[in-house]
Amino acid sequence: MTLIRNTYQEIIHRLFRGDDRLLLIIAGSIAGVCSGIAAVVLRLSLEAVLEWLHHFRHFWWAFALPAVGAVASSFFLNKVVKEGAGHGVPEVIYAVSRYGGLLRFRSSFSRLISSFLTIGSGGSAGPEAPVVMSGSAIGSNIAKFFHLNDRQRITLVGCGTAGAIASIFNAPIAGLVFSIEVILGEWKFVNIIPIAIAAVAGAEVSHAIIPEQVIFNHQPFETGFNDIWGSICLALFAAMISVFFTRVLRQSGKLAKRIELPLWIKAAIGGCTVGLISMGMPVVLGEGYHYIQMMISEEFSLSIFLVLVAVLAKIVATSLTLGWGGSGGIFAPCLVIGSLTGVLFHKGLMALFPGAGCASEGAYALLGMTGLISGVMQAPLTGIFLIVEITGGYEAILPLILVSSIASTLSHYIEPASFYFKELIERGQFLRPGTDARILSDLNISELIETDMITVTDNRMFRDLIDILKTTEQDVFPVIGSQSGNYEGLIQISAIRKFALDPGMYDMIFVSQVMDSTLQTASLENDIQEIIDMMNTNRVDHIPVVENDRFIGMIKKTKILDLYRQELIMQTISH
Amino acid sequence: MELSVADMSNYLGVTPDTIKRWLKQGKLPVSKKGQTITFRRKDLENWARKNQIKLDFSKAAVKTEEANPRGENELVSLVQAVERAGVFPGIPGNDTSEVFESAIAGMGFVPETFKSDLLSRLLEREAALSTGIGNGIAIPHPRVQPEYIESPAVLIGYPREPLAYNALDGKAVSVLFFLLCPDLKNHLHLLSVISFCLRNDSFVSFLKSGPKTADLLEKVGLLEQTYSI
Repeated sequence: MTLIRNTYQEIIHRLFRGDDRLLLIIAGSIAGVCSGIAAVVLRLSLEAVLEWLHHFRHFWWAFALPAVGAVASSFFLNKVVKEGAGHGVPEVIYAVSRYGGLLRFRSSFSRLISSFLTIGSGGSAGPEAPVVMSGSAIGSNIAKFFHLNDRQRITLVGCGTAGAIASIFNAPIAGLVFSIEVILGEWKFVNIIPIAIAAVAGAEVSHAIIPEQVIFNHQPFETGFNDIWGSICLALFAAMISVFFTRVLRQSGKLAKRIELPLWIKAAIGGCTVGLISMGMPVVLGEGYHYIQMMISEEFSLSIFLVLVAVLAKIVATSLTLGWGGSGGIFAPCLVIGSLTGVLFHKGLMALFPGAGCASEGAYALLGMTGLISGVMQAPLTGIFLIVEITGGYEAILPLILVSSIASTLSHYIEPASFYFKELIERGQFLRPGTDARILSDLNISELIETDMITVTDNRMFRDLIDILKTTEQDVFPVIGSQSGNYEGLIQISAIRKFALDPGMYDMIFVSQVMDSTLQTASLENDIQEIIDMMNTNRVDHIPVVENDRFIGMIKKTKILDLYRQELIMQTISH
Repeated sequence: MELSVADMSNYLGVTPDTIKRWLKQGKLPVSKKGQTITFRRKDLENWARKNQIKLDFSKAAVKTEEANPRGENELVSLVQAVERAGVFPGIPGNDTSEVFESAIAGMGFVPETFKSDLLSRLLEREAALSTGIGNGIAIPHPRVQPEYIESPAVLIGYPREPLAYNALDGKAVSVLFFLLCPDLKNHLHLLSVISFCLRNDSFVSFLKSGPKTADLLEKVGLLEQTYSI
């Protein structure tokens, strides 16, 4: 009996604990399925509510609909679930790099509901970032359920993200690539397989519930040699639009922060403005997939001037929706702006060179989408695979790669941080694995502090210190007040060497006379980065840690270096 | 603005060899003009911002050896300190307290209002532990620096009668070095110099012979030149 039990335990250990690949694959596919369902639910309910609200669009008060949605969404996020507005992707990236992918359970549904309210009522935003947030929170909570460690939890967050993107676009490769390129930031063998499986699981769920294969159907594109020149120019144009879009989005958010009004009033102002814009330019409404389909199948008949206005209107509407309290992502707006950009470019090209043997307007709409996705997210692979998968347009792969790489490179050149990362970089929270900032943020003071230090009281004679010196290798001595017990200063051997060699001084001076009381001290709240900065500005190798005037311990530069190196090795090993 | 390899090594706090290795490995944004290597400040700023590297081009960032971060004053020599306070032969008084009082009364550089405070500080220090270092010599000084004194001063005093001082070797004290410094750094330095001088036996016997002020200063000056620790 014991033999059977032991064998069973051994098998379980070998399969799941010793090597966690199987465990991650199983947990990852569960995460993929769950987040896939979440994504499908959001997509179907959005379709339903847009259909239902369509009947009210022609009333004069319809402009207020997005305002109602935005107010409800910001009320829900701030008061009910108490989470910040915005799209949530930077929060997921930060959670992955700082807290081992720890996300709250409520995040797995909060953004779904808020973005449903925002987008369903007509706000200009996309459902993808909310499902990313929700998928990653699902992955994180599945990891919690299985009692997994940080590294495994991060993989599951990636699985949830991949499943969500794969499901909402029915695009498994895009899900995989987005998850690794944007969310995790490192291509590791152990991550790729579970995430790939989760992506496929997500896509299968979506496929099972909504049978249609690709989101955007189109006629086969015929691309020729001339389109290479066309794509290069389009890529440059799309990069400009990307940078412009990113900047307008950020400025709008900053402006909203500066205005001191209750959140719901801001959301109402943003929503009403979007509603008013939509009166003249219905293309700005909602996630806009319907219009993308029209553009790809070349049923979109606006003049070149109106298309330009539409591009600007969509950019402004998205900035007002997301910056002023609405909830949703920039994926779908990027696709809409991208296809409008492509159409605009094609119309301009046709006007200038009527005889140019270029591909159709639909093909350029496709290329424009790639340009915008790659330019705004600075994730070229995501741009390529997403567009290929959602349109099934493999025949245009060469121009797609060209547009994607040029647009992402150029926008990276102008704006070094992508839309997702910029916020994190500004807050000092961009901590990719293996970087200095990441290693320093992972180290804690408690791991570095040396607490078993010999201290001396300030009323002792110098001779007493010399006697202590003879018995220890310690080279700095914290001085403690004899009355108060407080930290008073620090004695460094290098500073007292001169007096230590002169026995005539031993009975002449007190310990308190040779201590350095001007030295900056750290507290337990300081992070390692701040402590290293202190060491560099004061040019010292030791920093005493003092809390409520009490000496806690010392932090030494040599110790930081030791641990830093070990941490670097640990963070960069392949599992 | 253009920077050289030497400038860069200053700003980043590494040796020029390290800068050259980083250049070879393609880690720094460089603009070459033929053989000379220069860095454009704007390029570097962009590069630093992109890679979250702190790069401070202000002058404070350049490490200079002579920079004194705490703004402490220069050290005073023992000769200067003795010149300031002088030599006081035949100090009247029967015990430590009286001798100190008369000595302080003769110190012109101590403001009148603080004289009683200085006396109590000196006596307090003696109470904690005698400053008699043996061989008939003592170095009375306050434990807390008298900040009302303008600059470091050492008064060499001879009590009229050898003074029972509770010294380490029990001998009566015939020479007193009153050491008064407004700051700790000079205090420790002068204490160390005095201790150094007193290790020289011929100086000690010369000191005890009660020489003229000028001769004493000259001797101290010569001896101080050999001071080294």
